[in-house]
Amino acid sequence: MLEPPLAAPPIVDGIGIAKSFGGLTALAPLDITIAPGERVALAGPSGSGKTTLLYILAGLLAPDNGELFLDSKRIGKMRPGKELAQTVGLVQQQFDLVPHLPVVQNVLAGRLGHWGLLRSLASLFSARERPAVLEALSRLGIADKIDERTSQLSGGEQQRVAIARLMLQSPRIILADEPVSSLDPARAEEILRILTELADGSGQTIIASLHAPDLIRRYFSRVIGLRNGKLRFDIPAPELTPKMLDALYDLDRDPQS
Amino acid sequence: MIWTGTPKAKGAARFLETRRLLTVVLAGALVWSLTGVDWGGGIIHTGGGNALKEFFLALFPPELSPTFLRLALSASWQTAVHAVAGITLAIIIGLPMGVAASGTLATPGRSRTARFAIPAAVRFVLAFMRSIHELVWAVLFVTAFGLSSLAVVLAIAVPYAGILGRIYSELLNDIPEGPLDSLRSTGASPVRVLLYGRIPMALTDMLSYSFYRFECAIRAAAIMSFVGIRGLGYEIQISLNDLLFSQVWTLLLFLIGIVLLVDYWSTRIRRSLNS
Repeated sequence: MLEPPLAAPPIVDGIGIAKSFGGLTALAPLDITIAPGERVALAGPSGSGKTTLLYILAGLLAPDNGELFLDSKRIGKMRPGKELAQTVGLVQQQFDLVPHLPVVQNVLAGRLGHWGLLRSLASLFSARERPAVLEALSRLGIADKIDERTSQLSGGEQQRVAIARLMLQSPRIILADEPVSSLDPARAEEILRILTELADGSGQTIIASLHAPDLIRRYFSRVIGLRNGKLRFDIPAPELTPKMLDALYDLDRDPQS
Repeated sequence: MIWTGTPKAKGAARFLETRRLLTVVLAGALVWSLTGVDWGGGIIHTGGGNALKEFFLALFPPELSPTFLRLALSASWQTAVHAVAGITLAIIIGLPMGVAASGTLATPGRSRTARFAIPAAVRFVLAFMRSIHELVWAVLFVTAFGLSSLAVVLAIAVPYAGILGRIYSELLNDIPEGPLDSLRSTGASPVRVLLYGRIPMALTDMLSYSFYRFECAIRAAAIMSFVGIRGLGYEIQISLNDLLFSQVWTLLLFLIGIVLLVDYWSTRIRRSLNS
């Protein structure tokens, strides 16, 4: 869906979002509006503010300035835990599972925002909702790994576990911070295919940071270019040209100065 | 020296300079302190060499009569029971205190009291518990409860809980943030992040250190004879007073045996956790 219906209220609506870390500007005041079901790629060199933006959208970082509404609710007003977890979920690079726990527990972590404390504790010893975990893992083709220690899995498999966790969390907005940067091209493509198919199936919105222009064009509907915390371009993905990307990633020259 | 750098670089250079100076001063103090030790003087026991030889020769063979072995076994049992009870109580006390001292349970939005005052207060109590030696605690508890197992167990549990609590709090804080952020993004509260992230990731190190402390607790339980508590140390003291070195060796071998047993157990557990 390249042009989302204008009638639907935006799922992400941010006005003047800014963040700096000890004098270093990570995000200059930035406006961002995303419609439900959009697939947005964030491009930009390291330090451009992609991760900061994703962390702010995930509610893990509070912006210094600006207002952010997710699903028409102000993010600061949302109760952490259940409400936030139903709205946004985050996939990171492969390292961000708990390597010492069995796969089933890492997937079930997606339910932690919903569960009470006793249930969370009991589940560590005897896994709850195992059928749901099994179903998610079989959709991702790794059902046989359910009881393995997560650290034993390959990078691609671990990324599927992270996606399975997200399936159990089932947020309305899926955030992904360089979800494929540590994978080889074939696996990267497969993970993006799974992720976008999943989102399409349930009408979820995806916002992911990644660098590969061909993957952006193939799997995303819109691409936002960031550099030094500022918006450089915001265009439909098919209009992305190699020249624009070269300018965005140029080592020597700041494209706007 | 002429500084051409920026004020910041100048500050950094000054910091390095100060640190180097401090290193020299401390090294100097160490060397000087060695001259303070009286290496040659004092009263030398002229028969010491012979006594040492006699002591080591008594190892071949150690005392192996059934009566004595039975005594050694029962003394070992007593020492092991004290050590197990002491370290168990230390873990039961040390774990929650370590969690509280780590400050990992405070929600960012919560008051400053919850985030700073409580961890600081718990850290202070832990420091107090471990800065007093187990033998001193033993004297205190024997005064309070008499020559009982309770006194030994508490004398081990209190300082060891202080040590374990401090180590646990450091291990729980030393966890990479990535997996924890990932858990937070699923809506997990700090308690759940502790249960599903911090503890599983720190568990191997926590267990490994607890087992090491368990070995130390065996040693501590053995020397509780100094305050009159029965056990391996008590028997060693009696045999030593009677110059029965082969009996001393038997008792020492039992002590080493217990420590090796604990070592083997800890290796097995760690291996099963890592596989």
